[in-house]
Amino acid sequence: MLNLNIQTHMDFVGQHKAEMYSRFIITLFGVVGLIWGAITQQFSQTVYTLGAGFILASLLTIPPWPMYRRNPLNWQKPKPEPSSGGSNGDENKQKKKK
Amino acid sequence: MHTVLTRGNATVAYTLSVLACLTFCCFVSTVFLDYRVASNINTGKVLVKNVPDYGASREKHDLGYITFDLETNLTSLFNWNVKQLFIFLTAEYKTEDNVLNQVVLWDKIIRRGSNAVLDFKNLNTKYYFWDDGNGLKNNPNVTLYLSWNIIPNAGLLPTVKSFSSHTFKFPSEYASALI
Repeated sequence: MLNLNIQTHMDFVGQHKAEMYSRFIITLFGVVGLIWGAITQQFSQTVYTLGAGFILASLLTIPPWPMYRRNPLNWQKPKPEPSSGGSNGDENKQKKKK
Repeated sequence: MHTVLTRGNATVAYTLSVLACLTFCCFVSTVFLDYRVASNINTGKVLVKNVPDYGASREKHDLGYITFDLETNLTSLFNWNVKQLFIFLTAEYKTEDNVLNQVVLWDKIIRRGSNAVLDFKNLNTKYYFWDDGNGLKNNPNVTLYLSWNIIPNAGLLPTVKSFSSHTFKFPSEYASALI
């Protein structure tokens, strides 16, 4: 079976950027649409303009584009295997829970 | 914002909030407008009959019969928060039993984009002009008013009365029921 390894996460800086961009795009299209609708006296024009802003914001900020993944977290190196005494203690705790 | 679904959810929710805000702006921009305009109403034929009202008590009640002319221009009422107008003609008069009688005689829907310049001659009423007794014969003071309901995209549903009205009197004799 085909195993596609698609990464869908954004890093923390990327999430912040994505939220700011989508808020900005939708607000901008809403304000412009309100002005355009007032000029043409057609409220439907306002709604359509906002809809265009929604589509644009969805395309730009919902998929995890590479621009939102430039600040990966620096994880610590995995520690070496703990000693046998410590692992026994963990097993005892799990047995008590069960 | 860490998965595609949460970002999609946030985008949809924010778009709907903005849409509600824009709709409110549209409502605020039109709520203080004055929607009254002048109209010109005249009556042609005016008769009153005394016939049994089978819709109510089967007793003989007064039934008015009028034709009217109506001329007005409602184009200025339409803006981005008006979907359609419901215009109606009412007769208001006073009888011994009631201080105020109101009877709707005619109505019409004018959609946005259709012709709002009205010029009707010799229209018949759409609905019966029944009195609930014998208050029409020889009534000297029956007034016709044109009013309209404004159906908006968002906001209030105001009923506006036109500036003008027309007052007429009913004859003092019943017309023959065959007319």
